[in-house]
Amino acid sequence: MTELLVIGAGLTGLMAAIAAARQGARTRIIATGMGSLLWTPGTIGVLGYLPGEDEPVQSPFDALDALRQRRPRHPFALLDAQTLRQSLDAFRELVQSLGLPYRGAEDGRNLLLPSPVGAPRPVFLAPAGQVDGHMGRPEPYLIVGFQALRDFYPTLIAENLTKLGLKARAEFLPIDLITRRRDFSPIDLARELDAADLSRLTNALKRVAKPGERIGLPAILGLKRHAAILATLREALDAPIFEIPTLPPSAPGMRLAEALRAHFELDLRGRMDLGLRAIDFRAENGKVAWVSTRASARPVRHWAQRFLLATGGILGGGIVGDPTGQVEEVIFHLPLNDAPQDRKQWFHRDFMGPTGHRIFLGGVRVNEAFQPVDAEGGVAYENLWAAGGLLADSDPIAERSLEGVAIATAFRAVQRMSEVTP
Amino acid sequence: MRRLETEILVIGGGATGAGVVWDAALRGFDAILVERRDLCHGTSGRFHGLLHSGGRYVVKDPVSAAECIHENRILRKTHAHCIEDTGGFFVVTPEDEDSDYPERFRQGCADTGVPCEEIPAALALKQEPRLNPRISRVFRVPDASIDGFQMVHSTVQAAREAGARIFTYHEVIDLLMRGGEGDRRVTGVRVRDAARDEEVEIHAAMVINAAGAWAGKIAAMAGIRVEIVPGKGIMMATAHRLVHTVINRCKWPSDGDILVPAHTVSIIGTTDTPVADPEDLRIEDWEIRKMLEEGEKLVPGFMRTRMLRVWAGVRPLYKETAVTDDRDISRKFALLDHQERDGVAGFITITGGKLTTFRLMAEKTVDRAAAYLGERKPCATAETPVPGARHGYYWLGHRLREVEDGRLQSQLICECELVTRGMLENAARHNPTIGLDDLRRDVRLGMGPCQGGFCTYRAVGVIHELKQGHAVTPAAVDSDWRAAEFQSPAVQPPSRAHAAEEAGYPDDLFNPNLLLRDFLQERWKGVMPILWGQQLKQEQLDRLIYLDIMNADHLPDAGLRSPLTDFYHMEVRGDASGEEPHD
Repeated sequence: MTELLVIGAGLTGLMAAIAAARQGARTRIIATGMGSLLWTPGTIGVLGYLPGEDEPVQSPFDALDALRQRRPRHPFALLDAQTLRQSLDAFRELVQSLGLPYRGAEDGRNLLLPSPVGAPRPVFLAPAGQVDGHMGRPEPYLIVGFQALRDFYPTLIAENLTKLGLKARAEFLPIDLITRRRDFSPIDLARELDAADLSRLTNALKRVAKPGERIGLPAILGLKRHAAILATLREALDAPIFEIPTLPPSAPGMRLAEALRAHFELDLRGRMDLGLRAIDFRAENGKVAWVSTRASARPVRHWAQRFLLATGGILGGGIVGDPTGQVEEVIFHLPLNDAPQDRKQWFHRDFMGPTGHRIFLGGVRVNEAFQPVDAEGGVAYENLWAAGGLLADSDPIAERSLEGVAIATAFRAVQRMSEVTP
Repeated sequence: MRRLETEILVIGGGATGAGVVWDAALRGFDAILVERRDLCHGTSGRFHGLLHSGGRYVVKDPVSAAECIHENRILRKTHAHCIEDTGGFFVVTPEDEDSDYPERFRQGCADTGVPCEEIPAALALKQEPRLNPRISRVFRVPDASIDGFQMVHSTVQAAREAGARIFTYHEVIDLLMRGGEGDRRVTGVRVRDAARDEEVEIHAAMVINAAGAWAGKIAAMAGIRVEIVPGKGIMMATAHRLVHTVINRCKWPSDGDILVPAHTVSIIGTTDTPVADPEDLRIEDWEIRKMLEEGEKLVPGFMRTRMLRVWAGVRPLYKETAVTDDRDISRKFALLDHQERDGVAGFITITGGKLTTFRLMAEKTVDRAAAYLGERKPCATAETPVPGARHGYYWLGHRLREVEDGRLQSQLICECELVTRGMLENAARHNPTIGLDDLRRDVRLGMGPCQGGFCTYRAVGVIHELKQGHAVTPAAVDSDWRAAEFQSPAVQPPSRAHAAEEAGYPDDLFNPNLLLRDFLQERWKGVMPILWGQQLKQEQLDRLIYLDIMNADHLPDAGLRSPLTDFYHMEVRGDASGEEPHD
């Protein structure tokens, strides 16, 4: 019998499933789709902005107290700084061992990486292939794009970096260095580079680069052979090379998702089934007995000793809002925090204003063991845990805490789960 | 101060103003049109896209009905490419059965000359399987779907080719007046060029006020009282087409009783709420509920359909006498000769009416102007096809065909609406681009399911590269051109002496960061009131892109404003949800 059934295959679900499987639990993932990790730029944001503030957070750990003050039930308020640090260290060790190393700033602060429009993204950890874009480094930027690549605009990035007081310029290379296709996405280009002889590209880069510059490219440097491609370019050009993420789906997000999936399925012999949308469940004696998923003939039941809900928030599909203003957790109909049940209160009139939108704070209430609780604070089901984007009182997109919340809460939920015998 | 001279000066870049300047130019008058924002920014860009057969008015307003069918027949020739020949149904739903309206409707059609054929309900259901299966009677009329943006753009392009000059983002701040009591004359206008932030004086022998719902404000500048009751109506677009025929409820006109197929979506409309200010485009929750409920009566399942967007337009209802219900104010147009009416010469107001009758309104207006300025050539608009009309009726698949045939060589920038890089570059080359919204009206950028999620960033990048001299398509690649002409004949190169004067703004006014910010806010304004279910999830993806990936909320120049910033940030809902902080 499955010992832990993880529902959701995003960063939260994968990290939780890997942690549980490493402890020896027979673990299985079921999910509707591949998870929103593929849409993200592969960086690990822990806390980039405090609610209501325009200035970026220098160091997430220094800002935790301020965050807890403003959001006393934020997921980060349910665990201590040491646990957050442990979970991030565990993530770094894991991806290092999988050949996809991540780095942070040496002083423990957030990195500031150039976004696809040249704005500074505050992230805590970045793949080795992105970290040299950090604005704290001294080298001037050379942003290199490819003609007619619709998801990368080097002149725009360079212009905004210049406006930020950094030294930056842009160059274009012909797209036929990489592909002869007429219509292509960054992912297509990454696949082509996996199979390509890189000498044409490196020669072209040598022609446009000046000594002392660091070279920013769209995130197309391979999917399977990323590390080798990065090393080849760095050696040939003898310069720092870094990727800038593109529109979703994003190659760095796909690399991370694929590395974690392969580790879980191949190294840890975990089972992962996609295409299963959980629609119902049965509880007996205060415990979840099974979860059922939609299938063509009749719903299929999935029994397990323990369940971890990692279906994500509104982005992942774990939380939905309907036209009458009702906000709901879709599988267990768990009680949510006091998010407004009136659509008039859901949004602020400014799309990008610092206050964010109330609806996105709506989510599942959990205790310090990351078990969903009812309105009185009692555990909803003895063998149910929840982690990640569906948790209440966090707006991970506004906070730039998406991956940090996923990693830390998955880590903590599995840790607390293993403290009790089933 | 810049100073220009002309014979006829038209205020307002909606359908009426475009028609007037086109008609005037064809008759040989020197003409200028000024518009405070982009063409179609007002009511002509905010309606449901219905080319009336007249059916809707046969019982209530037979004169309007006769005008509609007359103009409907003309526009099908002069503006064929702006029209999809969908046909229209008037359907009797179970709620409408206990009424004598269907019989009065049939009689009204006969009396006004609106072609009307009753067909078996079963046949109608075969053609439109999503219609309510319980409808009992169906009347077929020659309604059609019309693209207001394209119609106005084509008309304006025709005017340009006849020698007219068009100035968008030029707001009238005052009328130039001469003479004293009893002998007053309007001699021109003072306008503010919003992009360059400078004033311009335009002197004219005749000033025509075609400002629609804003006409009262313009007339007031001459000390004249013209009472316009702005009647706000909301429209909602679904994520795909539910029907391919215009569907009307066969009943006394009311809220939410028309469903129009428009390009890739269906549009339901509308409401009618008197508002004090034509800029008051707030969407009320009851209006959305009403649309959902009424839509459900026409198409079962409508309430669960994914909604893309909601917007409001303001009808320019001219109030002749005191009436209580707005819908009883005539939809007939009003031509006010202020010399006769108020003793102010050189000034005419044309207001009221409907988009369907814009050409007729223009004809009557220029007739009156010509009576003062001296007759030139006779009106030719009824026989003169505008650029693009030779392509014949619009049909839904035309862009896809162009792309699949390989005629559109460049990449898709907006995948929802099949906008290519070439189309975007050509549109940006030839139209002043104050905001991306201007290009939306030209090429349908950002009007599909992701509501600008992917194309906003791309369009900003493409235009930035264009301004930096890195355009991918040479000016007017023939294939891209043809497809673009369908959507926006304005991309044709200006071939007249005035080209330099009115062509795009200097590049130093272009700021990509403002373009990005303002367009995202503009899209937000129209999705916020209908975000739930799948579209709410979509919006979270857009937030992931613009906040998490782009960090676009922390771009340089955050403190700068564009001429459109304030408009996009104004209140859009009927409550104060924007005011209170969260925590």
